Amino acid sequence: MTGRARARSRGRARGPEAGAPGAVRDQRGSTEVSRPVLLPPSEGELVGRGRQKTAPGALTPETVLQISAGFQQVKIGERGGRRRDFHDAGVHTRQLMEHVKESKTGTSGFPIELRANFMRLLSRPQWALYQYHVDFNPPMESRRLRSALLFQHEQTLGKARCFDGAILFLPHRLHYTEMVLCSETRHGEKVQITVTLTSELPPSSPVCLQFYNIIFRRILRMLNMQQIGRHYYNPDDPLNIPQHRLTIWPGFVTNILQYESSIMLCSDVSHKVLRSETVLDFMSSLKQQYRDQYFPDACTKELVGLIVLTKYNNKTYRIDDIAWDQTPVNTFKRGDSNISFRDYYKMQYNLEITDMNQVLLVSHVKKMGPAGAPPPGPALLIPEFCYLTGLTDKMRNDFNIMKDLSSHTRLTPEQRERRLIRFISSISQSAEAQNELSTWGLSFENKLLSLTGRVLPVERILQASRTYEYNPCAADWSKEMRGLPLISSMPLETWLMFFTRRNADAAQSLLYTLNKVAPPMGIRVQRAVMIEYEDRPESLLRALQQNVGPETQMVVVILPTNRKDKYDCVKKYLCVDCPTPSQCVVSRTLSRPQALMTVATKIALQMNCKMGGELWSVEIPLKQLMIVGIDCYHDTAAGKRSIGALVASLNQGMSRWFSKCVLQGRGQEIIDGLKVALKGALKKYLKYNNCLPSRIIVYRDGVADGMLQSVVNYEVPQIMQSIKTMGQDYAPKLSVVVVKKRIATRFFARLDGKLANPPPGTVIDTEVTRPEWYDFFIVSQAVRMGSVTPTHYNVVFDNSGLKPDHMQRLTYKLCHMYYNWQGIVRVPAPCQYAHKLAFLVGQSIHKEPNINLDDFLYYL
Amino acid sequence: MSNLFSPPLYKQRHQFVIEFVKRFAPRKVLDVGCADCRLLTTLKVHRHGVELLAGVDIDCAAIQRRKHALAPLSSDYLVPGDRPLTIELYHGSVMEKEPCTKGFDLVTCIELIEHLDPGDVEKFSDGVFGYMVPHAVIISTPNAEFNPVLPGLTGFRHKDHKFEWTRAQFSTWALGICWKYGYSVEFTGVGEAQDRDVGFCSQIAVFQRDTELNAPVNNTYLVPQVYRLLYKVVYPSLQDNKVFHRTLVSEVLYSAESLRRRWREERDGARSDLTSDICGSGSAEGQGVYRCGRSVRVPLLDVWASPRVQALCVDVQHLREALLAGSWVQLDTDGGAIVLPDEDEENEEEEQEEECGREFAFRLEKRNITEDWDADLG
Repeated sequence: MTGRARARSRGRARGPEAGAPGAVRDQRGSTEVSRPVLLPPSEGELVGRGRQKTAPGALTPETVLQISAGFQQVKIGERGGRRRDFHDAGVHTRQLMEHVKESKTGTSGFPIELRANFMRLLSRPQWALYQYHVDFNPPMESRRLRSALLFQHEQTLGKARCFDGAILFLPHRLHYTEMVLCSETRHGEKVQITVTLTSELPPSSPVCLQFYNIIFRRILRMLNMQQIGRHYYNPDDPLNIPQHRLTIWPGFVTNILQYESSIMLCSDVSHKVLRSETVLDFMSSLKQQYRDQYFPDACTKELVGLIVLTKYNNKTYRIDDIAWDQTPVNTFKRGDSNISFRDYYKMQYNLEITDMNQVLLVSHVKKMGPAGAPPPGPALLIPEFCYLTGLTDKMRNDFNIMKDLSSHTRLTPEQRERRLIRFISSISQSAEAQNELSTWGLSFENKLLSLTGRVLPVERILQASRTYEYNPCAADWSKEMRGLPLISSMPLETWLMFFTRRNADAAQSLLYTLNKVAPPMGIRVQRAVMIEYEDRPESLLRALQQNVGPETQMVVVILPTNRKDKYDCVKKYLCVDCPTPSQCVVSRTLSRPQALMTVATKIALQMNCKMGGELWSVEIPLKQLMIVGIDCYHDTAAGKRSIGALVASLNQGMSRWFSKCVLQGRGQEIIDGLKVALKGALKKYLKYNNCLPSRIIVYRDGVADGMLQSVVNYEVPQIMQSIKTMGQDYAPKLSVVVVKKRIATRFFARLDGKLANPPPGTVIDTEVTRPEWYDFFIVSQAVRMGSVTPTHYNVVFDNSGLKPDHMQRLTYKLCHMYYNWQGIVRVPAPCQYAHKLAFLVGQSIHKEPNINLDDFLYYL
Repeated sequence: MSNLFSPPLYKQRHQFVIEFVKRFAPRKVLDVGCADCRLLTTLKVHRHGVELLAGVDIDCAAIQRRKHALAPLSSDYLVPGDRPLTIELYHGSVMEKEPCTKGFDLVTCIELIEHLDPGDVEKFSDGVFGYMVPHAVIISTPNAEFNPVLPGLTGFRHKDHKFEWTRAQFSTWALGICWKYGYSVEFTGVGEAQDRDVGFCSQIAVFQRDTELNAPVNNTYLVPQVYRLLYKVVYPSLQDNKVFHRTLVSEVLYSAESLRRRWREERDGARSDLTSDICGSGSAEGQGVYRCGRSVRVPLLDVWASPRVQALCVDVQHLREALLAGSWVQLDTDGGAIVLPDEDEENEEEEQEEECGREFAFRLEKRNITEDWDADLG
């Protein structure tokens, strides 16, 4: 295999070639386009995880850096730390927690037979991968030539091999530990090749795991699948949604890792949304919608952050900016001469640019240049040759598009299992794929993993003096709580309702229905002050400024459409300038008379929470406990600023919360701001309880793939430091749990002879967990359509000694406490609250909310 | 040597082939001795109407290594091309006679013959010109007279070269071919030396058949007898009925949907302005979108006005026939308009209770109402 072929088999690691013409620095030296590129730190400073010791004195670090550009994944972290390990392998947290060293499994609940989307990797006994160092004398510059020279010895080396120019992997051991081979170049030059065994890698070594993934990617390519981004998709049988010009390619997310007891392939069905529309098409339709002066803004807003697929190669780029001063007639430097984009594409790809006035797109290529050189700088792309992929925020908010999409992409457990089985059998039916696997002595079990989970007992919901249980399959208690008084309710005495003339009737009927549904819940409702406003953001703002006073308890605004501008205007004013709880209702929601009772009930509950009321509780068998939830929101459009939110419990019943949101400054870690927020939460807890919590459990959501190490190494110490500031001898027990919702793991339960979603409360803490972590999965929510996604919990720090069983149960209990949903949610309530808060601030307010609102769930 | 020419010599040779393809527009091209498939990869991009690209080489590993470079790109699937393209790669020797290699419009042998044993050259000539009988053949080989210009070169340019011909030797051989098999030849080359009359670095002979073949051979679906098929890929194209239909339906529905959206917006706008209720303000092409009972009708003529639909169907009649052939798009009885459901009739969200497995009947595990986990810790 040549370096190029391997690079392609590896996925993201394809080296930049002629594909990004604009990547060459701009000629006119415009600062907008060419930014100085930071040099990667030298190799010596970095510790390669997978690299084995090379033969002594073989190569200087510089030459290694230069020549082994091929096997980059093996040397994670060596390329300026850019190449992330998406599986967070190598973070060993469990060994530091005494109480889970022996066992991390729980005991509660009844057992349930499950299947998981995992397949065991089978290899013959005593299988090992042999790593050789290959040295050329005289040294050979070209990697291609090195491969060619080495592979002249196929008889000695065998057919199965993997060579990146310096390191050779073989599935068998050569006869000698060190072998000297002789090859000849095409000019008859004799080259002496020394092949030295450097290590014998056991099947579970990190290098082997990466190696399996490389081999598996090769196999996916043999099945004629197309790689887009990190995953592979099948283009032969697309699903089209013509109304929106969407094309969906079914595909698979796969990874091979060491799980609790064995090495397994985890594979899930994934769908890629593509659009048969170019960026140029998209821009022209925007141009029709917006007037000239608004067009650049609209364009930037809609396009920046989107991923495009280029027509002429299989690469994807993220749009980072738009080069308004560049068109296809501009030139860039190629080799020694200048060439225009038009000529370049004609010559290189036989592609004609039809619109010479289109502005170009800018993408900051993060990938390293060839042989570890600095990244080539921003690439300029031609909109006409870029296809859009994925959905825009606008599309995500479009109910109709999402409905059409989900009808295609949501698969029931049975459909999902069928697809996975078909996938595995297509591998076993492909002679080429089988050949590749067998030369390496590998194969996969052709059935899904069976395992046993546990279903936790149903929680009892406490509401004032009453308790009740819910139907565990629906995981919802909206029926059960009907007509029951809430734990505490805030009377609506001084409140305002804003509406437009067209919605005057809707406002009246809402008011009337609220009066009907609120009293049984214990909420007293006085007449609202009704205020009409004109359907423009400015006049709505004026109406708010004139009428909302310090004594106003609640502001209800009926919005004529779900356009964001008016909503943002209300939230901005009432969360920052004039801190008042507010409730926006889109008039359409009120349009169906038969649904009005349900809608009004939900609105009444929501308003009650926003004013500081409490709805229900579950029993929490731990005293002096503070639960903290953290989540972030990444604003892709507006300067990539991240927003972190921290929500902390203030009472035993987990019904009162302290919420704080911080906006991240440039180059700052989100936790730096949250540290201060945590201190604020502790002070508030002290104020309400006259003592500080003796245990703190932090649920950290929003950790991206590959960021686990930084949570463990950086965030946990910061949290501890923040706690320390409350007093030298204050040392509460601390647990930090990383929560992950977007995972490929799926579980199916066998119920009445067919596959179904596991019931809410299903806990899995064996087989598919990772040996180096204290982790477990919980299926807490119930879904109506498709397959449920379990949530992964990874306890990365725990000095509380809390039993794993209790940790799991507590986590599940907390999923019952999200007041905007009368049922179980997929993450602990504080995480959901933090998400909601960060989202509101990131989407609408863009500022830190007023501190007077900290004690309320105003963002629901 | 590599620095002597810019662009590199091999690129110049490939460029020569591209220019030829551009001029003579062959539909089927076979590259004999395709090695790492570089020429094929270039031709795939600059295909100029080529519909079958085939390659054969005796080095199986070289093809295996590089074949995936010939696979279609994602965009080829996303927006299928107008013309079909099939790529086939074979493992085999040019000395063997393989029925699959017959009937090509162009056969290229770039820097190949010098690797043959001199005794085999005749067998090669017979195979290519006598058996394959393509319309045109491009043969390139090193020009021995140029070697003194190459710095530091002694002997042949490559250790595997069995011979390197002078211009005279090459033309003698080529003229012999013409006489024997009925071709005419032109000589040219790439890589010129400055100020010295040594000819081109790579000399090229372009052979063309004198007479037309009577029956064109269709070899597309032949199973190779002697060669081994290593790789075959059929690019998605609009010539494929399934692909054409899928693309057409997408474009038609998109166009119809946008017309309906615009019609609705106009209608809603008109309504809120409290002007008279004008429906379907007839456009120039057809009578415009209109409502008929519980559905919305979009005239085919209006849909056909979309440039992307026009690119697929020459006229409305063609469009109608194409749509009637499938069942994805509903037409009204006289086939003049597309029937779309009326969006105003919002479908009610169906509420359905998740079926609950019987096994959960025993869910309620009775337990102590009050637990104390703190106490458990001891």
